Amino acid sequence: MAYLLQRLLTEAAARQPQRPAVASDGCLLTYQELDRLSNKVARALLRLGVAPGDRVGILAPKSAAAVIGVYGALKAGACYVPLDPKAPAGRLSHIVQDSGSAVIVADEARASQAAILAGSVPRSRGVVVAGVPGRPAGEAAVAAAQGAAIVPWAAVAGESGEPLAQEFSIETDLAYILYTSGSTGTPKGVMISHRNSLTFVQWAAAAVGLSEQDRVCSPAPLHFDLSVFDIFASCRAAACLAVLPSGAATFPVSIARWLEAEQISVWYSVPSVLTLLACYGSLAQFDLSGLRTVIFAGEVFPPRHLARLMAELPHCRYLNWYGPTETNVCTAFEVPAGCWGGAGAGPAPIGKACANTEVFAVTSEGRRVCRPGEVGELYVRGPSLMRGYWGQPAETSEALVRHPFRDSCDELVYRTGDLVTLEPTGNYAYLGRRDTMVKVRGYRVELGEVEATLYRHPAIREAVVLPVPDELLGSRLRAVVTADGTGNLTYQNVLDHCRQWLPGYMVPDIIEFREALPRTSTGKVDRAGLAQEQHELEPAADGRPDKR
Amino acid sequence: METVINDYISRELVQDPALLPLADETSLLETGILDSLTFLRLVIFLEERFGITMGDADLLPENFTSVNTICAYLRAREPGKRQASRG
Repeated sequence: MAYLLQRLLTEAAARQPQRPAVASDGCLLTYQELDRLSNKVARALLRLGVAPGDRVGILAPKSAAAVIGVYGALKAGACYVPLDPKAPAGRLSHIVQDSGSAVIVADEARASQAAILAGSVPRSRGVVVAGVPGRPAGEAAVAAAQGAAIVPWAAVAGESGEPLAQEFSIETDLAYILYTSGSTGTPKGVMISHRNSLTFVQWAAAAVGLSEQDRVCSPAPLHFDLSVFDIFASCRAAACLAVLPSGAATFPVSIARWLEAEQISVWYSVPSVLTLLACYGSLAQFDLSGLRTVIFAGEVFPPRHLARLMAELPHCRYLNWYGPTETNVCTAFEVPAGCWGGAGAGPAPIGKACANTEVFAVTSEGRRVCRPGEVGELYVRGPSLMRGYWGQPAETSEALVRHPFRDSCDELVYRTGDLVTLEPTGNYAYLGRRDTMVKVRGYRVELGEVEATLYRHPAIREAVVLPVPDELLGSRLRAVVTADGTGNLTYQNVLDHCRQWLPGYMVPDIIEFREALPRTSTGKVDRAGLAQEQHELEPAADGRPDKR
Repeated sequence: METVINDYISRELVQDPALLPLADETSLLETGILDSLTFLRLVIFLEERFGITMGDADLLPENFTSVNTICAYLRAREPGKRQASRG
């Protein structure tokens, strides 16, 4: 059994060399081709001096080139750091510098951008372009005006595609760092080792029953941990990873049409995409009989939209997976066949622990939750837990703590911050957060990070950000700010400032200006009062698909 | 109507300042202005601003190609008429 993620690929290529590995944008790579192309990228990285443990940025949307880059980085013994091409330059620059990614793998279109980013790191070693055979080389690869040196695809393609002579990593080495919203104002990097990731990947491939006949799709980008499933679990089974084209992803009907045309058999996404498909996808017009399993994770699936989806596609198996990036998926629930719930039914529970994982909940008094109805914070233990936050020992020791009920246990456990209750069936059900983290379309948003960004605006004295519940988006973000009276404070310059530092899903949807923020008797900002106000102003704000 | 919608898209959805000012015939799809997240925000805005409810028959790529096609589509709807929605 593979003990390194890249071994999943070499084993699949040996077993099923001619099976399709990646279908993306009209390009189809077999397992043999993916294996050989990633060997070439690995050799180009080694030639630049990449050593075991080095971080290698990946700047590309999910695509054949990105998957080649991911496996190439792993084969060179490096840990990959996904860089969201849609994120603002300031944020990407922070991630590249914070992680010390001295080399970046980019697709043709982003080679120049990658060169500028890589150039911002001390002792930068350059950019390696990952491409696919038969596509003309882009202009960008020819020369970068500034920044780090670029190794063009033509040079990478000239490397040998034969297997590398040795493995450069061991299973406790980092495989990737995923940057997620940080409450202190800058994103934090979740460090995942090969062993951490494989614990999830092996379980997931078995739980879904993936085979080489499957065509797997997840619209999640590389920097979102849902992508670990389609990139690695597909490989485990020699299944085909199919990439949803960005043009099709915008419209629910286009997604449904593409699912039919591509004969997708396994789908994994956040519930909000499925809600859109159920409400606006005209699913009855399409033949989706090939779709056998629908997996959702990342946020609560509103029960009546889950019921509607199950009524539209009654032949599918529905799985609810739960797990913060820090733990990989740690609990799972299979939604019973038939329509979910009925009137008044709550959301599907998050279920029970996955194989090799222990989960338990701790009450506010520090007792273990053992009776149905009790509420506590969920803790997770097992080999899937992250190694920590990159370069943040204090935050790591707050999140990874000693086992509260096993004195003799040296293994640390992860505090999720999620409040759960135990159901009579033995399943855990998610109730909410202990802190101010919210989800926007499944993405984690620390309200503190958005507030910290607002505070960096030169004319803002105070800022508070509140979530406004929305069934399609998860939450919309409402910012309430006050001026410090010294500078120019306009709606447009606040918006522009946010866009300069935050990815789109973290930019506030509503920005309000006040003379002062309301305070509680203890002098704290009255968040509850502001939230109540919102409720009174817009009683229907959370009911979007309800309006019909 | 063109001005209202153009203003909203220019202010709220365009990430890249190089795309401004936005012409009413500019493709919202080829420029990448509309993606799955900004598209939802636009739908919510149109529903709230024009007091309409959109169903699956409305959310088609051809209706959202540009500011002009959005306006043409909105004018073609009978005012205030609820679109047929299943379920």
